[in-house]
Amino acid sequence: MSPTTIGIIGITVMVLIFFSRMPVAYVMTLIGFIGFSIMISFKGGLNLLSRNIYEVFSSYGLTTIPLFIFMGQLAFNSGISARLYDTAYKFLGSTRGGLAMATVSACTAFGAVCGSSPATAATMATVGLPEMKRYKYADELATGSVASGGGLGMIMPPSVVLIVYGVMTEESIGKLFVAGIIPAIFVTILFIISIYIICRLSPEQGPPGERFSWREKMRSLTGLIDTLAVFGLVMGGLFFGFFTPTEAAAVGAFGVLAVSLIRRQITWQGFVKSLYETLRTSCMVLLLIAGAVVFGKFLAITRIPFNVASWIGGFDLPPFVIMGMIVLVYFLGGCFMDALALIMLTIPIFFPIVMGLGYDPIWFGIIIVMVTEMGVITPPVGINVYVVYGVAESVVGGVPLEAIFKGIIPFLIAVIVGLIILIFVPQIILFLPNLMY
Amino acid sequence: MNFFWKIIQWLLDKMKIIGAACLVGMMLLTCVDVVGRALGQPIFGSVEIVGYMAILSVVMAMPYTHQVQGHIGVEIIVRLFSEKTQTIIDICTGIISLILFAIVTWRMTVYANTMKASGEVSMTLEFPEHLVIYVTAFCLLIFTLVILRDIINNIRKLKSS
Repeated sequence: MSPTTIGIIGITVMVLIFFSRMPVAYVMTLIGFIGFSIMISFKGGLNLLSRNIYEVFSSYGLTTIPLFIFMGQLAFNSGISARLYDTAYKFLGSTRGGLAMATVSACTAFGAVCGSSPATAATMATVGLPEMKRYKYADELATGSVASGGGLGMIMPPSVVLIVYGVMTEESIGKLFVAGIIPAIFVTILFIISIYIICRLSPEQGPPGERFSWREKMRSLTGLIDTLAVFGLVMGGLFFGFFTPTEAAAVGAFGVLAVSLIRRQITWQGFVKSLYETLRTSCMVLLLIAGAVVFGKFLAITRIPFNVASWIGGFDLPPFVIMGMIVLVYFLGGCFMDALALIMLTIPIFFPIVMGLGYDPIWFGIIIVMVTEMGVITPPVGINVYVVYGVAESVVGGVPLEAIFKGIIPFLIAVIVGLIILIFVPQIILFLPNLMY
Repeated sequence: MNFFWKIIQWLLDKMKIIGAACLVGMMLLTCVDVVGRALGQPIFGSVEIVGYMAILSVVMAMPYTHQVQGHIGVEIIVRLFSEKTQTIIDICTGIISLILFAIVTWRMTVYANTMKASGEVSMTLEFPEHLVIYVTAFCLLIFTLVILRDIINNIRKLKSS
């Protein structure tokens, strides 16, 4: 049997085992180990297991993951989200659909201190949904804006997915973070435009809310100060080269903790919950990376990534068509699989192809995150939809799942439009990182 | 047997606390190092210490993460089956996971032995790295036992249904 045939069998078996609900990290480790043992030697496979897993755990670059997750968890368990929402609400709330616009804006701002998409959706659903219910917003618009806005947390740095992409492709995490800022704001604007169009077409979906004086609006800006300060410190430090990503993450986590303590908005229980949730998520992410590394070693000796790259190159198609096909694969994959797992599984295959086409690796990282962002809101595995569904049950007495899925459609269209623009105008993504040190 | 599982649960809880302490430790140490560096007084070997604390925080959390089902899995197909079928599938995947991580534990111990024999130490602090690898192997052992406990519980569940 040729190495490629063994590789294809390995991938097929792996996908089949995925559907048994066995953790993706375990399956990738298992298939990587068995495949490597068959192709090289059993002893080689055994050594691969211990050395690669330990190497992932001991990689200094990956220490940034628990710290950034901790920063996000502290922000999640303290009152930062409520203050951000309050500011956005006072500025935008009085316009038609203004509360939904405030929600997506606050989601982006919260994403600046939290790298997790479901955490952003959960925290903003808790704050935003009761307000939108009070002003009789349609369930579709209310829940759709929160679920989709949550996805912005993934693009807006710091982002766990971007860290993992950076580590796997050996790209600068600092540059990836900086590159994410403009696309995140760009998609937020597209979301706001979508909400405006929805409310223009059917005004009953988002009636205007309370109007505030300029004095009150200005006073509410204080709610933004701590988030801006922490974000400025973290991103400024990275941008000007004062910090390594690990240092930026530690300073950011400490900053959020300090702000929460000074404002007395984090309890001991909240702090402990943040710690344990960070441990759980970090362990999940790092075992996933370890599994991807073991599987990646097997994949490399099957020469599948190389063969796929030269096979696709043989078609002589325009680069944007190939890029479109890759985006489609991520979009479909994202419907069934978690973003992080999907990226780790496919990067070894797609990254060489995209580099061969002459695209920029930083640009590709942001595009990938944008595409997988769609996966968190599309059925059947749109995690943000289920998160919002769960939160809605406890804060507004429940919203039908179909209403949330219906509500995300306009936002999905906005992301697709944004994606097309970013593919054809890469300068939007590359402008800021090109200014870096 | 119950006493044995109680000890495992006790260990799991304590490991979780050690992991959390390491997380706080790495945050504080890095911040102090950043400030110290700005003042011309960086902490000697802080990068290595932070690296070790990061390893400990992750490996100490492995049994806990498995216990709370914190790993990503594709549920879409399994959810369609009856509860009994789901339990049978969980037992099968549990056994595969058990074998896999028993091997990983064994190999991690062998790796620690090799590192110990080579006398390799870290570059700055000259810390014997095999000690951290032994701790990793121990955490993997507890993790493997937690997988075993899940299998036993699932078999009991299947018998009682």
